[in-house]
Amino acid sequence: MTAATVLPSDAESLRLRRQGRARRGVQALIYHGLVLALVVVVLYPAVWMLISSFKPSNEIIGNVSLVPEGASWANIQTALNGIGGVSFWTFVLNSLILAVGSVVGILISCSLSAYALSRVSFPGRNVFFTLMIGTLLLPFHVVVIPQYIIYNQLGLVNTFVPLLLGKFLAVEGFFVFLMVQFMRNLPRELDEAARIDGAGHVRIFTSIMLPLMQPAFVTASIFAFIWSWNDFFAPLLYLKKPDLYTLPIALRLYVDQTTTSDYGAQMAMAVLALLPVLLFFLVFQRYLVEGVATQGLKG
Amino acid sequence: MRHNKLALASVVAAGALALSACSSAGGTTADPSSAETFNPNEQVTLTLTWWGNDDRASRYQEAIALFEEAYPNITVQPTFSPWDDYWTARSTEAASRSLPDVMQFDLSYMREYADNDMLLNLQPYLDNGTIDLSGFDPSLVSAGVLDEKQVAIPTSTNTFSMFTNPAILDQTGVAFPDDATYTWQDFNQFIADTTAAGATTDDGYAIYGSPDYTGTFWFFMQWLLQKGVQPFAEDGSLGFTQDDVVEFLNLTADLRAAGQTYPQDRTVALTPVSGFASNEAAAQMNWDNFLASDSADSGSELALHQIPSIEPGEKHLFLKPSMLLVAGANTEHAAAAATLINFLLTEPEVGAIFGTSKGVPADVVQRDKVEAAPGSIDAQVIAYEESISRDVTETVPIPVKGYGTIEAKWKTLAEEVAYGNLTPEDFAKQWFDEAELAMS
Repeated sequence: MTAATVLPSDAESLRLRRQGRARRGVQALIYHGLVLALVVVVLYPAVWMLISSFKPSNEIIGNVSLVPEGASWANIQTALNGIGGVSFWTFVLNSLILAVGSVVGILISCSLSAYALSRVSFPGRNVFFTLMIGTLLLPFHVVVIPQYIIYNQLGLVNTFVPLLLGKFLAVEGFFVFLMVQFMRNLPRELDEAARIDGAGHVRIFTSIMLPLMQPAFVTASIFAFIWSWNDFFAPLLYLKKPDLYTLPIALRLYVDQTTTSDYGAQMAMAVLALLPVLLFFLVFQRYLVEGVATQGLKG
Repeated sequence: MRHNKLALASVVAAGALALSACSSAGGTTADPSSAETFNPNEQVTLTLTWWGNDDRASRYQEAIALFEEAYPNITVQPTFSPWDDYWTARSTEAASRSLPDVMQFDLSYMREYADNDMLLNLQPYLDNGTIDLSGFDPSLVSAGVLDEKQVAIPTSTNTFSMFTNPAILDQTGVAFPDDATYTWQDFNQFIADTTAAGATTDDGYAIYGSPDYTGTFWFFMQWLLQKGVQPFAEDGSLGFTQDDVVEFLNLTADLRAAGQTYPQDRTVALTPVSGFASNEAAAQMNWDNFLASDSADSGSELALHQIPSIEPGEKHLFLKPSMLLVAGANTEHAAAAATLINFLLTEPEVGAIFGTSKGVPADVVQRDKVEAAPGSIDAQVIAYEESISRDVTETVPIPVKGYGTIEAKWKTLAEEVAYGNLTPEDFAKQWFDEAELAMS
């Protein structure tokens, strides 16, 4: 009977439960309200760009409104018409060739060098590894001019070679490092077992390492693709024929402060240029998160 | 992120040019005595580069098509980029001595590249008739001469003018002064009156008289010429003193104090379009060839007037040669390059293709070919340059070494003055310090 005096009555407990739920409800409301407000702030520039691509040029600059007056497809049309007799699709194709080429090159070359640096013991391995890390600290701009002079003397300016050769020679230290770290965390017992079965380096690499490296490959592919897609400076230097231009170069051609600027067309082309990266990211982001997670957890 | 990269890139690029100076001694500069005329049987590919937008690209492509038709053995390989990227790419090429055969060039970079022996001396081709400048004003041609070498030839000319927005003048009810005789003080009064009228745009932004004209180095040079001071001496040193700078900046001191010039923070917010081109200011001084882009940005009809002067009517204007054409000193086809330059400069059809989009053509035949529909922007600009031809009494001040730096410094410091962080005296002192460094 004493328990009855301690326990709240049914009505009381119902009230308490309601109170708790209400408090949680209010908290959730505040939380979601804040998060939504943040989303608006974060997404505003992207939405502004999207909307601006449908506005006439003189309504874009200085106009923060998201409601277009007189929306039209004219800008998209201008962007799709291309520049100086070169079609928009040529720019897309060039960007694609470079992006896909970079991904392929980086996957092949960086995984091979990573295997050498993490699994093969050879004299000077640590020195090479340190040197490779050293290249990460070297700003790109330091090597621009010597590189340009060399490629120019080899007659390779105005080809995709200067932009892709490095990718096939594992020059991108970041990706080598990423893969070395990943491989180091793979259990050595696996390749030792393969070795006992008589497998050589080639067999171990192709049959043991490659299948296990998938998360690292996905991470590397995504970065390589997006970096190459957005790269502006290297194409500016090496690709001087309009029919070799990539999207980031073409998209700046609409805005020139010394002549008239077509901001609408630029926005439209920016949106069009963004779509492939966005799609690529949407499709692969699950793997990206997975890749980062496995790397964090292993070891 | 990208901006950072770009900024870094241009620093590196500037370094590259300095670096290349060391190696240029051994470079090949065409021997003036061996100027050949062009061999019509040799198959040649020329590279041609310019800065500009998509519209300019299609006009150039048209001109190239004409040229290739007239010279079937020459193939022209074009390349183009917007202004900033253009100079990054050029300085990298300069470092490896692989500049394009023919380049569109600007006065402000001319001395830097010429001093490093990057530009071909075109004099031999003028002498042997490959380039025919009979339709040019001689003073304009001489603007492309440095150290007795004809390194560049202007395609067109610009000169200073005052843009006004008639719709805003109607709205505020403030009349623009008589542009033949008004002084800087009259113009200041106009700015003050317009701002004080308190009109606003449809979006509720206040309408001002004009941006502060003291923020632009070229305007300062124009004012110096009116004062009878040559901005730069023959030897490339400065021809003015700190007192001149202070005096110029103080022209608008009262307007700044009263907040009557176009506000700096709004200017920054609207970049890259000016407050004037956004229909928030009644007038702005500018190069006359910018009328097309300002009209496009503002979407309204604009009017051209003369600039104010110190003494009524004494304008002391100069024609600024623009869109100069140069040949890279490393070209292997100098005669063909000269042929292309001549074609772009003097072929009447090319004049018709470009109109005034590169300024008013310097060549008299090309100028006549510009089909300017009455009332069009082309017609307005040409009419303006013709109307002021009597007032063009000065030659353009040829920018000195380090010009890019000192012009940019002027702009940055002027922004500080506009925010009220810097007095004109401090401005003058800091600017002169910078100029000494940049020009040494």
